[in-house]
Amino acid sequence: MASIDLEKMRQKIKNTQWALVDFDWGSPGAEKITTEQWPKLKTFMADLMWIEHVGARGFAALAKSAPTDNLREIYTYFHAEEQRHANAEMALMKRWGMLDKNEPPVPSANLRLVIEWLERYADDTPFNLLATLIPMLEVALDGALCKYLLETVDDPLCHEIFAKINDDESRHLGVGFTVMEMQGKGPHYIAFIQMLGHLFDPRLIAGALVYFPLLNSMRDNLIAMGMQEEKLYKSIAKFKEIGGRTDQGRRNPWFQVIQYHGTIMVDRSNHFYHVPVDMLVALSNKIPRRLLPSPPTWVAELTHRPIA
Amino acid sequence: MNDLTINNRINQTLDVIIIGAGFSGLGMAIQLQQANINNIAILERDKEVGGCWRDNQYPGAACDIPSHLYSFSFAPNPNWSRAYSNSHEILEYIKSLVSDFELQRYIRFNTNVSNITFDEKAGFWTIKTDKRKALKARSIVIASGPLANCSFPNIPNLKEYKGHKIHSARWDHNFNFSGKKVALVGTGASAIQIIPKLVKKVKHLTVFQRTPAWVLPRLDAETPQWISSLFRELPSAQKLSRQAIFALHEVGALGLIWNSPLTSAMQRVALKHLQHQVKDDWMQRQLTPNFRIGCKRVLMSNNYYPALQQPNCKLITWPIARMSEKGIRCAEGIEHQFDCIVFATGFDIGTQTAPFSVKGVGGRDLGEDWKRGAQAYKSINVSGYPNLFLTFGPNSGPGHNSALVYVESQLNYAVQGIQRILNEDLAQLDVQAKAQEKYNIKIQKRLSKTNWNSGCKSWYLTEDGFNATMFPGFATQYSIQMRQFKDKDYHRVSAI
Repeated sequence: MASIDLEKMRQKIKNTQWALVDFDWGSPGAEKITTEQWPKLKTFMADLMWIEHVGARGFAALAKSAPTDNLREIYTYFHAEEQRHANAEMALMKRWGMLDKNEPPVPSANLRLVIEWLERYADDTPFNLLATLIPMLEVALDGALCKYLLETVDDPLCHEIFAKINDDESRHLGVGFTVMEMQGKGPHYIAFIQMLGHLFDPRLIAGALVYFPLLNSMRDNLIAMGMQEEKLYKSIAKFKEIGGRTDQGRRNPWFQVIQYHGTIMVDRSNHFYHVPVDMLVALSNKIPRRLLPSPPTWVAELTHRPIA
Repeated sequence: MNDLTINNRINQTLDVIIIGAGFSGLGMAIQLQQANINNIAILERDKEVGGCWRDNQYPGAACDIPSHLYSFSFAPNPNWSRAYSNSHEILEYIKSLVSDFELQRYIRFNTNVSNITFDEKAGFWTIKTDKRKALKARSIVIASGPLANCSFPNIPNLKEYKGHKIHSARWDHNFNFSGKKVALVGTGASAIQIIPKLVKKVKHLTVFQRTPAWVLPRLDAETPQWISSLFRELPSAQKLSRQAIFALHEVGALGLIWNSPLTSAMQRVALKHLQHQVKDDWMQRQLTPNFRIGCKRVLMSNNYYPALQQPNCKLITWPIARMSEKGIRCAEGIEHQFDCIVFATGFDIGTQTAPFSVKGVGGRDLGEDWKRGAQAYKSINVSGYPNLFLTFGPNSGPGHNSALVYVESQLNYAVQGIQRILNEDLAQLDVQAKAQEKYNIKIQKRLSKTNWNSGCKSWYLTEDGFNATMFPGFATQYSIQMRQFKDKDYHRVSAI
């Protein structure tokens, strides 16, 4: 993926906005969800929707720390677009009768912890880290999940909506990889030392402690739903391939750390990583609900209604 | 000249034509009258005086500068009801100027200027209006104001919306808001005054914010009766009070214009004000600016943040994607539908463009000359446009003090120039291009060190980031530079 002109991209983003009202939510096709598929799909969609929503908060943090006005505006749009994806996915859940009392699905304990971490520390997270991590999540999770969904669901409306979502995501990735390459400019050793400093920041360590288990639990959920693990591996490989295509991309130290983490995450034989992380998953699931922090108010922005 | 009624003098070449009957236009007429220059006219496009205070009659409209300072020093009003008066009271004050100084006779209402052209041989300006007869004057004062033309935001499909639209500067007093779903676009100076009033009237109010502003507490209070009585009995006490308020605002320049420890202190006060009034973390984040205080206009309100948190109010910070027939679509994919949309989106700033076609020496066009950024000598004269004076011209805006202090200095300077034209019988009094250039190089150099040019986007700057709006200094500095007409910077051509 070649670097893109970010000025032109900003215009393109503005010119390609879509809304939930553009779709006929009462059109036939909802009945194509089979009884057998329904419970698994419900869990899958809830995970997908929350990933989009959490990603949205990540873009909000990026918009705050972006080094230029142009990037700030782009990330502001991406924040809103991820929210749009979450809203659209929630509207699909509503169409398929998967929302209890029309409320968003209850997030898992891992997700609640990630949301809490984002609320507290996302805005202080180094720009370079977030700007590299989000493309990885988009390729690995978003990409793999969307692909899987389209392969298994026959509802034509779902395909229409995900065509739009995928268009948005391709722009997010275009910008994401361009920004990752931009980070490879400048003296290598300074970027490396700065990264080392941040790696020992207690806030980032706390972030890793909630983020690693989230990835593991999601991987397990996906596999339980019948998704082939290879799809996830291919997505991680894609991130590694595109992000490391150029010298500049490879010189971005955060890219090296995150792609390495991606590699060990999908390597189930790496017990050194997976045993403690799986323990953290089990531990977080044991946290009583009442002890989990109440969700921040940005979570209440989620809606399945195309019109307010 | 005995009969000063303008309609009886309309066929003559007038000494001065003033365009605009707002604060500065009327102030100009008063100053000229006091200098015994009476062959003047004021052209006003509306049917009433008042300028932006006539236009801005939205609910909650008020001035951000204490009234004892936001009034002319030569026309003090001891009866201001509050520290910060509302627009009705300010408009009444402006109307009182007309009656107290007998200005009615000079004013031609409902007269919209379309273009003015300088005749360099004869030494007068021809003013074409929407009336049939063109007017002639030896000097022109453009006092049409920087905030005369309201601006709508650049939102795609703006015209597609079929519901009721209101601009804050053209308020529709006949529209019944009760029981309505209303949107308000903008969170600037007008918006933060409208929102607390509107939220009490409507069924639901949705506020669309693009960029949050720094908001300081507003130290407003009713004026005690004894203060008004004291000022009536002892005008020197009012003068002293005005000077004290002026001095206090001048200190504010140190924090608002330049980056100093006072800037950080002011920013902390604004942040504490926000944290005190808004408890929700996410909303605090949405309302926290990402630029230095002073870079954009600093707002003052005690009831804006509480209004935003009312159960029937919602703040939206998603980018607006486009307008639709029934409302506003945002980038989060939701169409927000409304009965009425209020645009509190400000003005096309008059310091950055020519208000109408202005043709100077050799047919040069002010709009063309200002295309790359408006420039004037001391904000008041433009080289190549003799006998033309501007009030609120380029780089005369304050960020910390009363605009009328600057205007008074301009009026005094314009009177000195006009006196020269009349007394010395000059066909042309034109500022030298070199003097103008030198002045502007200095101004732009100083501006580069100010908070306004510290990186944020504001209406002070053009799209290219050129600051043709603000004066980079204290009001006192501006007044000193305007005190004496600098003859050596002008060239003169005598009338034949």
